[in-house]
Amino acid sequence: MQFLQHELAYRLARQRLSRRDTLRAMGAGIGAIGLAATLGGTNAAAAAGSPLAPKLPHFAPRAKRLIQLFMPGGPSQVDTFDHKPLLATHAGERPALVDRKSLRNTKLGLMPSPFGFKKYGQCGKWVSDIFPEVAKCVDEISFIHSMHTDIPEHAGGILMTHLGSLQPNRPSLGSWLTYGLGSESENLPGFVAMSPRAQPRGKGACWGNAFLPGAYAGAYVNIEHMQPSAVISDLKSAGLSREQQAEQIELLTKINQLQLARMEQDQNLEAGIHALEMAFRMQLSVPEVFDVSQESEQTRRLYGDSEFGKGCLIARRLVEQGVRVVQLSHSIDGYDIAWDTGHENIVDGHAVLAKACDQGIAGLLRDLKGRGLLDETLVVWGGEFGRAPTSEGAKGRDHDHYGYTVWMAGGGVKKGYSHGATDEFGLSAVEQRVHVHDLNATILHLMGLDHERLTYRFSGRDYRLTDVHGHVVHDIIA
Amino acid sequence: MSRIFPLWLAAVVALAGPSPADDLPAHPLPPEQVDFFENKVRPLLVENCFSCHSAAAEAEGNLMAGLRIDSLAGLLKGGDSGAALVPGDPEKSLVVEAVRYANEDMAMPPEAKLRPAEIAVLTTWVQMGAPWPGSEVADEASPAQALAPYDWEKIRREHWAFRPIVKPPVPAVQDGTWARTEIDHFVLAGLEAAGLAPNLPAEKHLLIRRAALDLTGLPPNPEQVAAFLADDSPAAFAEVVDALLASDAYGERWARHWLDVARYSDVHGGFDAKAIASTWRYRDWVVQAFNADLPYDQFLTRQIAGDLLEGAPDPAATGLFACGPTYSSDGGDAEAQAQAEAETLADRVDTFSRGLLGLTVACARCHDHKFDPITAKDYYAIAGVFRNTGLEDFPSAPQTEIDAYEAGQQAIKTQEKRIEKWLAATASRSGIDPASLEQSSDESLKAELAELRADLERRKQAAPPMYATLTGLKDIGSADMPVALRGDLRKPGEMAPRRFLEIVAGAEATPYAIGSGRLELARSVVAPDNPLTPRVIVNRVWGWHFGKGLVRTPSNFGVLGDRPTHPELLDWLTADFVEHGWSLKRLHRQILLSSAWQVSSGFDAAKFARDGDNRLLWRMAPRKLEVEAWRDSLLAVTGELDRSVGGPPANEIWQSTRRTLYASTSRTGEVFHADRFLRMFDAPAAVSSAEQRVETTVPQQYLFMLNSPFMTGRAQVLGDSLRSLPGDLPEKIGLIYLRLYSRPPEPAEIALADAWLSADPSPHAWQRYAQVLLSAHELIQIE
Repeated sequence: MQFLQHELAYRLARQRLSRRDTLRAMGAGIGAIGLAATLGGTNAAAAAGSPLAPKLPHFAPRAKRLIQLFMPGGPSQVDTFDHKPLLATHAGERPALVDRKSLRNTKLGLMPSPFGFKKYGQCGKWVSDIFPEVAKCVDEISFIHSMHTDIPEHAGGILMTHLGSLQPNRPSLGSWLTYGLGSESENLPGFVAMSPRAQPRGKGACWGNAFLPGAYAGAYVNIEHMQPSAVISDLKSAGLSREQQAEQIELLTKINQLQLARMEQDQNLEAGIHALEMAFRMQLSVPEVFDVSQESEQTRRLYGDSEFGKGCLIARRLVEQGVRVVQLSHSIDGYDIAWDTGHENIVDGHAVLAKACDQGIAGLLRDLKGRGLLDETLVVWGGEFGRAPTSEGAKGRDHDHYGYTVWMAGGGVKKGYSHGATDEFGLSAVEQRVHVHDLNATILHLMGLDHERLTYRFSGRDYRLTDVHGHVVHDIIA
Repeated sequence: MSRIFPLWLAAVVALAGPSPADDLPAHPLPPEQVDFFENKVRPLLVENCFSCHSAAAEAEGNLMAGLRIDSLAGLLKGGDSGAALVPGDPEKSLVVEAVRYANEDMAMPPEAKLRPAEIAVLTTWVQMGAPWPGSEVADEASPAQALAPYDWEKIRREHWAFRPIVKPPVPAVQDGTWARTEIDHFVLAGLEAAGLAPNLPAEKHLLIRRAALDLTGLPPNPEQVAAFLADDSPAAFAEVVDALLASDAYGERWARHWLDVARYSDVHGGFDAKAIASTWRYRDWVVQAFNADLPYDQFLTRQIAGDLLEGAPDPAATGLFACGPTYSSDGGDAEAQAQAEAETLADRVDTFSRGLLGLTVACARCHDHKFDPITAKDYYAIAGVFRNTGLEDFPSAPQTEIDAYEAGQQAIKTQEKRIEKWLAATASRSGIDPASLEQSSDESLKAELAELRADLERRKQAAPPMYATLTGLKDIGSADMPVALRGDLRKPGEMAPRRFLEIVAGAEATPYAIGSGRLELARSVVAPDNPLTPRVIVNRVWGWHFGKGLVRTPSNFGVLGDRPTHPELLDWLTADFVEHGWSLKRLHRQILLSSAWQVSSGFDAAKFARDGDNRLLWRMAPRKLEVEAWRDSLLAVTGELDRSVGGPPANEIWQSTRRTLYASTSRTGEVFHADRFLRMFDAPAAVSSAEQRVETTVPQQYLFMLNSPFMTGRAQVLGDSLRSLPGDLPEKIGLIYLRLYSRPPEPAEIALADAWLSADPSPHAWQRYAQVLLSAHELIQIE
């Protein structure tokens, strides 16, 4: 209902402030921030006619925003959050339990995790030494240890995670959410995808709109270079001052209004006049939100100094401004399936990757909590599959789609909870199994959407993120 | 098919199910029970039971325990253990016992126990009395019913799209002066019946602008406007239309429409976005086909089977399918490979059926279509044609060029042979081993060999380079494929002989026998007894002229699609179109010369209140111009548009002044600068055939207008040219308004210009003013 209230408040404010006043305010040099403040804050809902206008969810949401911390390449569950002490006692053995049909190279014996595990938090969760900071947050987290997916291949697995399909011709989760809920920000895109260095494999499809209207596509920015203009093209005028641009916009609005007077009524034109005003505001708000130097030293320290950590901080700034979905993917060196370095050597591959994101993730959870945002922000951590407890060669592990771990925090999920389980060695999900479709159904559910009712008619059928599958995992909901 | 069903599903099931609607029982199932069954129960049964307990399993000899679960009758009749179902009593129903894993010998499904929630669904359903929509009157599901899921004759008789095309009589109207053509009689009859009058005709300057944008995607130049305004003859507008249709720009504009349907992209698609270098030759083929007014039946025949046409093969046309998205798997996983192939086939069937026939055949990939009379066997009958089709590189050059190349190669070969012979002869004569000839002391032999080799070098130098090629289709087999159970190619069901859709061609349709069957498929598409093909294109053309089709779901003429707003008009136009040789240019002329197309777009509150959606066509609804036409218009009004036609695409759109059609686009939408730009302005993603464009308005579009180097660049050109125009300010403004908007400025507009420019007449001020004019909504709409 809050969305509707926003919308009503905004419309009332607009009625009070006629368009002419708006333009006079611009011309008088009152910047967009002042103008937005007059309208009741930068989070004021978009006017009707915008495809990103906030829409009512199907039922009361537990989370209003989503931050996906995506770990492409497949982080190993038994080396991170799914502690399997039996691996040490059965090292080198190959029990029937792990002898599953798979084309992957998992033919060798069990390999214990090279990392130590310690118990953390009130919930007493065992966490690997490579995630010491996230470990301290376990009492905020719901771990799902019983994830499974369709295939042990990166591209297909990544698309399954983001699109609910093995092929890149369906809309992404973030696009579905912005389509279903709109955006609470007038000045920013509804869906922002980010990564340092490389885009995850699957690239644009991970935040693509496919057959949904283009307004629901994620806007991607590479945070290694940190150019806000990459999020929004043509954000800055090369030659005009802010005042000059305000004059320009005033003239264009007057010309368009003469056209509107001739036409008497035209939905496209009316929406265009409004969009032009918003464009003016975006020019300030977009660079601002990506400028982490505006944060206090203390806050920045919270996130650490890695690129991924900076991405986490930007993610918080974005959701704070009303962006609906932020997708932040991991990469440290330009490899598009970062965690796949586990093939050769889990120690080198995983430890470095974890170090590059541990502090940032923990910082994000703490910061969101400190600002009272965690309760309505859903944070989801995970890859497209996991890695087998058996070894590939001497020190590495190959892909495992039979079982892996994903965790969620904030927005309506239980705290300090673990759901489902893999077998005693960590290969296959055996208890309370959760497929990717179930996870996606659950994410939509937490955001107030029924995955069976969030549909889009295309090509003669009503498409869904979960196709004909998906069961909400009610057990993890607080 | 998704599990989302409208509440009126009961009616649809009656249509699609085995029992004719007029035989419906007195007590049809309550909608919530139908919903529950279709949303929860049926998917569960299909997913978990049908592979062993269905007609398909029986046909394959895989039926387990003699039990069929794909009909209520099957469950009631039961299998080896007796009746599987006692409606209303879960505790006595074996099916419930089985899924509960209560009995070790009969724990189903055998792979893994169902989830508790799923078991609960089945239990609840049995408790409800096992409502099974469509089975209300069927006491005994006979094999015949199982094999005939639809009442074909009834559907052919009753659903408008499948009925034969009959040219209806032209209706009489009261206002005899307004109606100029047959189209007008149909439109006016509808308006009069609703008590509405059409708008007045559009003003002449708006009319020529509308026609030029509509037919060529470019605004008319001031001279064309002036000439038309000065010409009072009754044929003046017809001449304008003819001239526009005769211009190359017409083919470029209308090819772009077709390329939306063809989900055209300059790269291959799928995961790897591999490029086929010659894709643009298909794009050029489409442009030329429109410009040559290639009859539409041939237009399609060539796109499906152009490589197979005897006498005059036309492989360039086959780019429609040759250059479609082709999915692959990045590893060796068998499931992923099967899925990639299935997805590629689905693209072909989907583009073919929605694009050409207005039918959603791809919905029948996993099971018979739930709403339309399309069986999974139909799907695999068509998919089989594409499965026997591969790619081939064809020459794409004049015969003389090909001959010259071949001659050059031949000359090289001849000389190589000559050298070989000489070496052999010399070796046998002199006893010197050919390999050591070069070290021989016989200078004359060495000189002779050097000369022979020099000649070979000269021939190589002189040989013309390889001629251009293009990628098209070729036949690679002639095997039928089986129905893939639940869409999984690794689970074959019954064979699906390649043939045309049963709803159109009948149960006795001749199977395709020649090669892949593509040529026969093409013939079926344009066969006189197929009413879909011409109806679909006539409707598309209408939609591209009016913004909306007579059927507002142009790629779905099935049960879930819209019904035509003017069914008789659609049929009359379609019949006329076929009678007159499938000529698209004739159809354009027919539409543009009607009063209906020429009415003004003016708003009218009373009419709008009655028919805001303009279904009755009381006005020309104003609409946004497609992004390609908008960018082209901007370049045209600044005088910068490069009008050269065809050729390889420009990878850098912002370095090109060619029409937008010629900018490289990708399927992933992330490769070229044009991708992001076009998407921002609502061009469809090239992942599948686009039904029609959406219109959205977002701030990013205005940031582009305000700040992009492209817009400021055009503004500089226009501003400078404006400033240097002769005359005083009002005269300059008058000229520029004519050039941009095909009309003189209003006093208020001159006043705005004056206020802007008299304070600061610098070149920069002129450029800023020009940028505003280029960004005005008037330039991005068709009135």
